[in-house]
Amino acid sequence: MSRGWRLLAPALLLLLVAFAVPVGMLVPTSVRPYVPLVGITDGFTLRHYVKLVTDSYYLEIIGRTLVLGLTVTGATLVIGYPVAFFLARTRSRWRNWLTILVVFPLMLNLVVRTFGWIALLAQNGLVNQALQSLGLVDGPVKLLFNFAGLLIGLTHIFLPFMVLVLIGAIQNIPRDVEDAARVLGASWGGAFFRVTLPLSAPGILSGSILVFVLTISALVTPRLLGGPTYQVMSTLIYDEFLQRLNWPAGSAQSLLLTAMVLALIYLSSRLARRSGATA
Amino acid sequence: MPASASSAVSGAAPALTVRRLRKAFGAVIAVDEVSLDAAPGEFLSLLGPSGCGKSTLLRMIAGLVEPDGGQIVLAGEDITRQPVHRRNLGLVFQSYALFPHMTVFENVAFGLRRRAVPPAELGPRVERMLELVRLGPLGARHPRELSGGQQQRVALARALVTEPRVLLLDEPLSNLDALLRDEMRVELKRLQERLGTTMIFVTHDQAEALILSDRVVVMEAGRVEQVGRPEEVYRRPATAFVARFLGRANFLAGTVTETGPATAVVTLDGGRLSIVAGPRAGLQRGQPVHAVIRQEAIRLEPPDGAGERPNQFAATVVFHAFAGQAHHYVIQLADGRELEVAAPGAALPLARGTRTRAAWSPEDVILLPETGPGGAR
Repeated sequence: MSRGWRLLAPALLLLLVAFAVPVGMLVPTSVRPYVPLVGITDGFTLRHYVKLVTDSYYLEIIGRTLVLGLTVTGATLVIGYPVAFFLARTRSRWRNWLTILVVFPLMLNLVVRTFGWIALLAQNGLVNQALQSLGLVDGPVKLLFNFAGLLIGLTHIFLPFMVLVLIGAIQNIPRDVEDAARVLGASWGGAFFRVTLPLSAPGILSGSILVFVLTISALVTPRLLGGPTYQVMSTLIYDEFLQRLNWPAGSAQSLLLTAMVLALIYLSSRLARRSGATA
Repeated sequence: MPASASSAVSGAAPALTVRRLRKAFGAVIAVDEVSLDAAPGEFLSLLGPSGCGKSTLLRMIAGLVEPDGGQIVLAGEDITRQPVHRRNLGLVFQSYALFPHMTVFENVAFGLRRRAVPPAELGPRVERMLELVRLGPLGARHPRELSGGQQQRVALARALVTEPRVLLLDEPLSNLDALLRDEMRVELKRLQERLGTTMIFVTHDQAEALILSDRVVVMEAGRVEQVGRPEEVYRRPATAFVARFLGRANFLAGTVTETGPATAVVTLDGGRLSIVAGPRAGLQRGQPVHAVIRQEAIRLEPPDGAGERPNQFAATVVFHAFAGQAHHYVIQLADGRELEVAAPGAALPLARGTRTRAAWSPEDVILLPETGPGGAR
């Protein structure tokens, strides 16, 4: 075993104990039959999996989780890229303070922040009051316990992750390369879309993976902003284990969520290799 | 003093004129009222230590830095306020600044695509330029698969393929190792002679500037110290800074004691030694000066047989080192002062302690009137 591998040993051990073993333990549970009022019984069944991919209730939740993940990722990217670009390029002496401002939400308790959004987005919350007094809407808009609420809350919470990853990626692009494009006849926009943006692709990719994974596995925010009925996969799993005590079904759902995440990471790393963006 | 250099290469209208260009970064004045001309087809070097403003000047010409004042005129057209991408200039960066996500071919084609050159014409033009910089078969590679020298050639090809009105080069050879740098120097010079492109070349390497340039602009602290052909700035430096920056030299402080039509005599501080120099206009008796003698201008001869020639001094070798092309000596004169001497490498070395005679011609003595600080060593 070479020295390089020994350096990885602590992290690999942690990964084994905290990830591989628990996930592995879910596998046998997920194929055990569950009898209501009795609990987990002996035997072998695939019905928990079959139900996940056939029952429209579950399919809707899976689809909603994926769409939410993609939309939040897209929103953080669109909002975060200009911010990251500014922070990576500015020579202002406020730069460090502005960066702290971006990170600041991370220092507040998640539950507190989420309750803040409830106050803002409620039927007679600040946002609805503002919209109505401006005459933009006739009645209150439903912004809580639905997709819009989750989208707003999660975008806000995960934006700093996207911005931080993008700042690093954009700072890695030498200014000379952009300048070269402009001297060669590219307008500012041309240089941006042909040089800067493609060269920040690795950062866009890793930021997107990070936000997507965080979004589809987030529990507290969807629970509070979605209420007890507007479910995503993580809240579904939580209820399955702790409310309905149906561990086999919860295990199957957990494994599906894990598989989705792993598949995404695999696909995006292949994408990165193909585009040569990891140079 | 804003020295305006008139074209020395030809009488034609200058390809590029810079008039009283100024740029400050906060309290630091990077470029201070610089004016200069480059004739069509001229190879003009901006030479100076780091922080002298030469790169800022180049970036202002390119349009990447906005000047605070002054004017940039390209072939008769004022481009001071023209955006970068409309200037049709070439710029080669010290870091090469190749596009890492594009092939060599696409790197070179970038400027042509921005100019909407039709595909039928684009391919052959890129190929021809790659041939010219001897990268013919490497068009499909990515920059990271090339050596430093090859990357530099891609950068040159990319900048030249659009046939820029002026090619600007910002220390393009500094990142190459010594051997490759020599090779690229020759290649660059031959390319320039072949294409006839006007080139403005920024460097801190005096040897590079002397070898490559038609004229050298020596800069210090944002100002032009001297503009001239390589021999001029080397043999007739206008200031102590130029004398010191362009090659190693001995600085001897003294006072003018005699001025004549053919010679001037300087008595060195301490009063025991006098040296004879060529004439220089505007010298007055009693004026404090520095006599500058380049280390290779001093000959080391056998101690006897001085004859009647001027500038003959008994000396002792106190240090010797061999550097291939030259022997480096430190010798001590009768009054205890030490001089650095570079003798041809082919000559037999003189051991430490050898008694010798230092000699130099009056015309090899550069007299610089003492002007404030920075004169003495």
